[in-house]
Amino acid sequence: MSVWVYGEQKSELGLEGTITRKLEEDLYEVFIGPQHPGSGHMRIIVRIDGDIIVEADPDMGYVHRTMEKLSEGREWIKNVPLFERMAIHDACNVTVSYVMALERILGIEPPPRAKYLRTLLCEINRIAAHLYGFGIFGVFIGHSTMYMWSFADREVMVELAEKLTGARLTHSYPIPGGARRDMPQDFPQAARKAVRYFRRRLDEYRKIFLDNPVTRKRLEGVGIIPKKIAAELGVVGPVARASGIKYDARLAEPYDAYDEVEFEVPVYEEGDALARAWVKFEEIKQSLRIIEQAVDWLEKHPREAPIHERFWAKAPPLWKKVFEAEGRVKLLPLMANLKLPPGRAMARSETARGEIVYYVESDGKTTPYRVRIVSPSARNAIVFKYIAPGYKVMDLPTIYGSIDYFPPEADR
Amino acid sequence: MAGIIDLILSIIFYPPIYQLVLVGLTGALVVVIFIIWFERKATARVQRRLGPYHISPRLAGLPQLVADLIRYAFQEVIIPKTVDKELFVLAPIVATVLSILPIAVVPLTSNPAYWPIPMDYSMLVALALTTVSPIFLIVAGWASNNKFSIIGGVREAFVITAYELIAIMSILSASAAVLSFNLVEIVEAQRVWYILLNPIAFLAAFLAVLMATSGFPFEIPESENEVVAGPFTEYSGLLYGLNMGAAYMKRFAFSILMALVFLGGWSPYTPGEGILSGYLIPSLIVVAKATVLMMIFSLTRSIYGRFRLDQALEGAWRLVFPMAVLGFGLALLEAYLGVM
Repeated sequence: MSVWVYGEQKSELGLEGTITRKLEEDLYEVFIGPQHPGSGHMRIIVRIDGDIIVEADPDMGYVHRTMEKLSEGREWIKNVPLFERMAIHDACNVTVSYVMALERILGIEPPPRAKYLRTLLCEINRIAAHLYGFGIFGVFIGHSTMYMWSFADREVMVELAEKLTGARLTHSYPIPGGARRDMPQDFPQAARKAVRYFRRRLDEYRKIFLDNPVTRKRLEGVGIIPKKIAAELGVVGPVARASGIKYDARLAEPYDAYDEVEFEVPVYEEGDALARAWVKFEEIKQSLRIIEQAVDWLEKHPREAPIHERFWAKAPPLWKKVFEAEGRVKLLPLMANLKLPPGRAMARSETARGEIVYYVESDGKTTPYRVRIVSPSARNAIVFKYIAPGYKVMDLPTIYGSIDYFPPEADR
Repeated sequence: MAGIIDLILSIIFYPPIYQLVLVGLTGALVVVIFIIWFERKATARVQRRLGPYHISPRLAGLPQLVADLIRYAFQEVIIPKTVDKELFVLAPIVATVLSILPIAVVPLTSNPAYWPIPMDYSMLVALALTTVSPIFLIVAGWASNNKFSIIGGVREAFVITAYELIAIMSILSASAAVLSFNLVEIVEAQRVWYILLNPIAFLAAFLAVLMATSGFPFEIPESENEVVAGPFTEYSGLLYGLNMGAAYMKRFAFSILMALVFLGGWSPYTPGEGILSGYLIPSLIVVAKATVLMMIFSLTRSIYGRFRLDQALEGAWRLVFPMAVLGFGLALLEAYLGVM
């Protein structure tokens, strides 16, 4: 029997899950997806020996939309709504680093108020995305209550985001040099109410899902990614943090207001599906903390235009009049034909699923010369291939749900 | 001519037949519709949504199930080319019929005029009949010639081996306690309901029935995210409806049996003479008790996810099976001490 081992180090670690065999006659090959209720927009080709997964082959690309190429034909600002389509429930997190790259090329820094506004929306999005992940995870292991609860409670965060930006999902909020608009006057009360509500609900989540004996039995010891393997596979986000790697783009390279707000990055050592669920659960708590701090800061400090003064100086008089009278700001017209100086920049931010990296190259035109995106789901998809083998077929949805793989983001 | 009419009438009024039609088909249909509605509503309440509401909000959407039933009945039945046609069509029909067959042999009254069969070994016959239907789910999976169906069928087979012995042993413990296979005697012997005398056996039976009917922590053969719809993946229309209904029918049959054995059957009522007092009222009491049991069964959906197959089997063999044995031992002890 030919044994195929990924890398030499794998066998030294004696990790059963990483040893795969070539397809033999008596293996059962099942194509899970893309029209399968438990697959999402992808296909996993699974070869089964009895009830054990021998090989799992993630076949991605079913929702590939050539985003990187499309972006080359659009103006700088119009790429923000485009890139949001990677993960619409995590819109601010996935686009804020693109905007940061543009700011680096422009050589500007957004005003502190804009930074806090962006941070606020990022955390609102993070909670919404984690709840989305929890919902999918719940339904994957047959827990319909978790699915319904988290999707219903996500509505609270979606409405908060709507109050802040005017759009439920695709906010297009961060723009080069700041944020698209300021928060409404009654936003702090609504945000504090939502935070209070979530603190109460999270306790119930823990009771019905994370501490549920059936759920624990399903998740404990499933899809274990040891720390070394996690580093080697290059997984990011909650998947890496559940394996004991304290890596978070918000810590590694603080952007926006993250170096001013207080928060912790939960790290778990176990590396199994339960630890990944707990990481997300604790991250929601930390996001609530950040939301509170950001709202406090925004309330305390006087309103200023949440856009860099270089752009604000060129704003039409009407814009300034409205801002002075009501404190409202709209997208500046000059953004439509923004020209960037030639240059290249990289930026990264921490989305709900992990670190997203943008490489942006400008040749001085109104459109990008090249935008390269490395999205977290694409980096985490490798888990299917090297971690799933060795576990049972019924563990596949558990692994899938726990790494919170999101095909539209991976395929982009 | 008169002879033929007599023959037809004698067939219709042959006790096993009318019990099967009256309680088994009509009763089960009404109860199943109510239970599915209750399950949806209870789950919706826990999950903070409305549940079925579109058809007749005044009845809280109860006719929705009737509408679904009509939809299933008139949908096109697609039979794929690759299936084993005869078995594919027959399996769900036979499975549904067999899953309510136990009702044809249980007494719903102590009045001998309305017993479907002689009652001396009715417990054994009823238990034996409960074990026939699951094989047709495996047949359905096999005949579908689809990988997901076959995996689902194999899972069903695994689960059957786990629950069957537990169900039989825990329900049979009542026979051990009363020293009789006669269900009427078992019911009459319960001065105190048997659930209070032997809660261990009841709990084992409860779990076994949950497993038998794909109740929620054990909803493994049809687990949507791994095997689509398990053995029923290729089914559509009425045949799919039958497949789905069969599990509830089976749960109803088991619940009737458990209501008789553990919940005192038709007590506190004492059946008298005539069809009303002798058959209808006691049978309604039994069905009501079975319905309450089914309502409890349906609550697990909103609390639990599903176990992995091996965990369910391990739980069944390592935990619930010893529990059933313990219950049986307790029953023997009670028989020795003459408690019942």
